[in-house]
Amino acid sequence: MTAPAPRPTADRVLTVDDLRVSFGTRTGVARVVNGISYHVDRGETLAIVGESGSGKSVSALSLLQLLPTPPARVEGIATFDGRDLLSLSEGGIRAIRGNRVAMIFQDPMTSLNPVRTIGRQLMEPIELHLGLRGDAARGRAIDLLQTVGIPSPERRIDDYPHQFSGGMRQRVMIAIGISCEPDLLIADEATTALDVTTQAQIVEEMESLQSRLGMALVWITHDLGVVAGIADRVMVLYGGRIMEEAAVSELYAQRRHPYTRGLLESLPTPGVDRPHRLTAIPGLPPNPSRMPPGCPFEPRCPHAVERCATERPQYRSPVPGHRVACHFEPEELYG
Amino acid sequence: MTDRASQRTLDAGEPPVEHRSRLRTTFETVRRNRLAVIGGVVLTALAVVALFADAIAPYTINEVDVANRLAPPSTTYPFGTDELGRDVFSRVIIASRVSLRVGFIAVGLALVIGVPIGLIAGYFGRTIDSILMRAMDVLFSFPAILLAIAILAALGSGITNAMLAIGIVYTPIFARITRGSVLSVRESVFVTAARSLGATDARIIRTHILPNVLAPIIVQASLSLAFAILAEAALSFLGLGVQPPAPAWGRMLNEAQGFLASAPWMAIFPGVAILLTVMAFNFLGDGLRDALDPQQRSVIESRGITA
Repeated sequence: MTAPAPRPTADRVLTVDDLRVSFGTRTGVARVVNGISYHVDRGETLAIVGESGSGKSVSALSLLQLLPTPPARVEGIATFDGRDLLSLSEGGIRAIRGNRVAMIFQDPMTSLNPVRTIGRQLMEPIELHLGLRGDAARGRAIDLLQTVGIPSPERRIDDYPHQFSGGMRQRVMIAIGISCEPDLLIADEATTALDVTTQAQIVEEMESLQSRLGMALVWITHDLGVVAGIADRVMVLYGGRIMEEAAVSELYAQRRHPYTRGLLESLPTPGVDRPHRLTAIPGLPPNPSRMPPGCPFEPRCPHAVERCATERPQYRSPVPGHRVACHFEPEELYG
Repeated sequence: MTDRASQRTLDAGEPPVEHRSRLRTTFETVRRNRLAVIGGVVLTALAVVALFADAIAPYTINEVDVANRLAPPSTTYPFGTDELGRDVFSRVIIASRVSLRVGFIAVGLALVIGVPIGLIAGYFGRTIDSILMRAMDVLFSFPAILLAIAILAALGSGITNAMLAIGIVYTPIFARITRGSVLSVRESVFVTAARSLGATDARIIRTHILPNVLAPIIVQASLSLAFAILAEAALSFLGLGVQPPAPAWGRMLNEAQGFLASAPWMAIFPGVAILLTVMAFNFLGDGLRDALDPQQRSVIESRGITA
């Protein structure tokens, strides 16, 4: 493990408290994130899982003030290194972006500038945050490409993005993300656009980098298959709220929320010869402009009763570290 | 490589980015366009003529041969002489300097003012966009040549003011084209990615936005050169641009007015010079557009601004 410069000694890297994001639109206010609270510890991987529109990407972008405000409106507190990321000045947040908190985006085909070489893009955060110039910056860029497994990096560094395959580009994005050895790396669907073999390689790469650098990792995905392999903890997001959160083993063993159950049952299980078709969750996610007053999952929940439509479920903690927003115990629902 | 190049001209649906050695494919595509090659050759010849005008011209601009006034083209005077007995050939050649200089400086001025306005308006959007672009719309709402005349009327005539006037007239075209491209590039993931790395707005505009919007700007610049030269000719024809005795193609046309029947060569040769230059820039510009930016239809074309 490389020894990072004086960094926070506390294990808690990020604490998010009651994060809310809404967008003012012509037809009304779309409430995309509705009060989520969570934390990430040093060296830990937190997976945020949810389907499209569940608010997972928006909540991540809001942390680094990357949403245009207006139309976006961000409330809540996100404590990082004793400061609230959401209320930092433009200059303050800029010093953190890419340096202490870095982000990797979904599509490696579009997240690199097509007209600049890989090297120049990789050197951008190095020059900005580490103050390295010229050969020093270039040397570090080559090292980074080596680290993420790009063969003959001293030659490839002057190539353009189109000369790289999708998997290679995502490795470059990872190299850019870790270039300043951030405390927190947010990977927003980082492997979604890649084929399965490449996906596995990238996940493996990320895990080894994480243990080497000791950074915290927030892994945003809709792919529960990837989650099982990489995450320590899983947070299930639906309608901009946390439905369930637990350690990954606990969640797979004891899925309490009907939504989590639905998600896991809609996954194909390799090796298991199942004659019946995959189950899908009927219906669509709620419209963020018209969130149901009760449980957001109520309209689609097979176990919903009247109470679910009117009363928002509070979090219950059946086991330490496991919280679930449902009125019912699993025994009541699934027998 | 060559297959790719020829494909590019046909495939208009291709996204404006990506590319394998872009300079090279561009060059290849332009080379395959015969008109663009002709335009390039004519312009190169013109540039050589302008550079060595003093050496090529057999006479100086003010050398008069009173005995041979209004003489038709001959071996002594290849393009004939004007009403004062000056050699039309020498004057056409030396005037090429004025035309090219006015064209390049005026378009350069329009680029230097218009492109940053477009970048800022497009990138920041909102109020600043509205203010800047409405200002550009005001300029745009006047017929180009009329606006240039009005500016010259205010500033006084002369070649420097003519360049300034033409530059101002063409500024909104560059501002608009730049802004339009910025609006689409701004939404790219790589721009958000750059912001997520802590890059400042100035840096993002300079290193991520500008290089990605250059193609339509280059095309527009080459087309605008043609119109700037035409505009200069028109202004000089009206007596607002280059002042006598300095020669300019437009000015020479003006002076030829009274002699169209008796000495048509006085008008024909500067006229042909304007025609050739403007056509050459247009051919080259169209070729560049096919290579760089097949989807872009020039603003000038759609508005039909011709001086």
